[in-house]
Amino acid sequence: MSPELQMYLAQGIHGLAYGMLLFLVASGLTLIFGMMGILNIAHASFFMLSAYLCVTVLNATGSYWLSLFLAPLGVALLGVLVERFMLRRAQASGLGHIAELLLTLGIALVMAEAIKLTWGTEGLQVMAPRSLAGLVNIGGLEYPIYRLFIIGLSLVVLAVLSLVLYRTRLGTIVRAAVSDPDMVSVLGVNTRRVFMLVFGLGTWMAGVAGVAAAPILTVFPGLADQMGMDAFVVVVVGGFGSLFGALVAALFLGELNAYGIQFIPKLSPVLMFAFMALVLAFKPTGLFGDRE
Amino acid sequence: MKISKRLLLLGLIAAALVMASLGAHPALAAGAAAGFDPKAVSDMTGFDPTKYENPSGEVVKIGVLAPFSGDAASVGQLYWATSAWVAADINKRGGIMVDGKKKKIALIKGDTMGKPATTKQAVEKLCLQDKVDVLWGTSGSHLTAIIQAEAAKYNKLHLNSHSLSDNLMEGKSFTPYTFQYIWPTYSVGNTLAKYYASRKERKFYILDQDYVFGHELAESFKAGLKQYVPDAQIVGEDYHPLFNKDFAPYLTKVKASGAEVIFTGDWMPDSSNLIKQSRQMGINTPIAGIFLDDINALIAVGPEGSKGMVFASQMLINYQDGIQAKWHEAWKTWPAPYNTALYEWLGSTTGSYVESLYWLLDVMQRAGATAPDKVIKAWEGDEWLGLIGEKLTMRACDHRVVRDTYVTEFVSPNKWYQDCAYLDQLVTIPAEFVTLAPPKDSERCK
Repeated sequence: MSPELQMYLAQGIHGLAYGMLLFLVASGLTLIFGMMGILNIAHASFFMLSAYLCVTVLNATGSYWLSLFLAPLGVALLGVLVERFMLRRAQASGLGHIAELLLTLGIALVMAEAIKLTWGTEGLQVMAPRSLAGLVNIGGLEYPIYRLFIIGLSLVVLAVLSLVLYRTRLGTIVRAAVSDPDMVSVLGVNTRRVFMLVFGLGTWMAGVAGVAAAPILTVFPGLADQMGMDAFVVVVVGGFGSLFGALVAALFLGELNAYGIQFIPKLSPVLMFAFMALVLAFKPTGLFGDRE
Repeated sequence: MKISKRLLLLGLIAAALVMASLGAHPALAAGAAAGFDPKAVSDMTGFDPTKYENPSGEVVKIGVLAPFSGDAASVGQLYWATSAWVAADINKRGGIMVDGKKKKIALIKGDTMGKPATTKQAVEKLCLQDKVDVLWGTSGSHLTAIIQAEAAKYNKLHLNSHSLSDNLMEGKSFTPYTFQYIWPTYSVGNTLAKYYASRKERKFYILDQDYVFGHELAESFKAGLKQYVPDAQIVGEDYHPLFNKDFAPYLTKVKASGAEVIFTGDWMPDSSNLIKQSRQMGINTPIAGIFLDDINALIAVGPEGSKGMVFASQMLINYQDGIQAKWHEAWKTWPAPYNTALYEWLGSTTGSYVESLYWLLDVMQRAGATAPDKVIKAWEGDEWLGLIGEKLTMRACDHRVVRDTYVTEFVSPNKWYQDCAYLDQLVTIPAEFVTLAPPKDSERCK
């Protein structure tokens, strides 16, 4: 393979890896919105919290794999508690989505300050585990194994999520509860518990993304802002609530970023937003969404 | 009175010994009138930035303008640790002699939150309510410009130890109340360009943050290369957004360009992410810059990953005794958030902050006053020897410092950190090569 071709191939895989990381962050956000109608402003904060928990578990045990298991679990538990004791009350307040928005915004602010108090404000570093460090040869192109791992991890999460939602009884109940919660409730299903589960699942996905991103990014108090905006763009472009839309949008925006930097670097930072504006102008529901 | 030859000889030997011992101190060796005296630093055992308390009574008030909250709060911590150190040290010595009496130092925080509106509010509070004598800060030239204007409005001294923009002391921006201790962007670019004049590397890739400082720095580096390394090639030039996430697409271009050096002005977290991601991608091209000394990032990539990086600074302490030993000993007992490797030694940033404050307070003492007009008069044209014995001259007409600058290549092993490469030999770039000329349009500089 010629060096030039290698460069273009590398950019393609970079786009794929970054796109899949974006999908990991955005999928939880779109899942919660799609299933519960809640725009969780604190979603990126759950992502950031997981990265910090990853640092703590890693420092305590030295095991990245254990942190990949425990940190998202911890974040999901917090998500469940937030849904059970806060969001549910906000929904019962009768103020509609405004209450949810304000509440999740408040949670994001509280989490940011709590993180600073707990872990300090310095940038913390996580390195990829030894088994995922180093490079692999792809047709003459030396490519970092860890970035390929991100692609693989995202695919596994996507597969598990799709299986659960579309091939299990639990998934059927979740989707039914979304369409008509009263009817499902009459059938003896505890819909409250279903929504709690969905919120926990969404925050768990943010948690997985946080641990996946930690070896690439500096873990610092601005991490949520750093990734949150891109995740939001993915959800808007893909269509609020559409998991498939989030996947397509994340992959497209990842490639747009990589090849944008390659060919039109001066414009690359705005390409993502320009594309979002374009999508909204012609299809306000996003590429695959049906809610405005 | 008759003096024997033996007595005369003894006297001469004694005088020579005294001269030699005095000569060991850089300030006196250079014959300068003033300078930092390492022996005068108090016993700082027990000093803890988290427990710093202002003295009572009549004090010299310093308003510390920094982002103490928000995403950049870690920067505020650096300001606090260093200013509290200097204040505690001077207070232990009894204060400084100003306005006819010994006054101790009090620090008052002004939280800029990194935002223009809050910066202005913080300055107004410090000037009008707290009635500070000096404003110290801040990071971000756009914020410093606000402080400068407010300092002039309220007749307050302002020491800028943090913002590098070349334009701050030029044209209408100049005010006699502000002194820019920190080196300007021009000096940064020219320091590294001059450094590479004596090196073999000739292919440079510029990768900077896409805002004023990033572009200014790149321009000064390119101009410096043109002057000092005419056969140098810029093989690529990219500007990425602040707080960039994925550096891989840029690094792939760097690799394809055949660059021998990545030149960057990136600061945290971009600098850390650039270092980390490049090493993960197997790209070990040396990175040259001024914000590469984030110890956490260096430790993350280890000795191999951090080796060969080129770090430039206006001031680098390469000794472990004196103030460095006292700082290090005190640090061992510091609680969070100051118990990290970032604070273990006085580094480029912390050392510079400390130095600038010692100089300010020394000037005040020599002026014998806190009144701005008297301090301004004393500081203009002042020559002072800093923490490493380097000569600093406060140019009278534009209040910028004329000084040598320093470059080092990170090596491993080194005497500082076991887990990463760090500074070793310093290359001094003489002031004549890196000093920004006085502004041509300034009447004061004609």
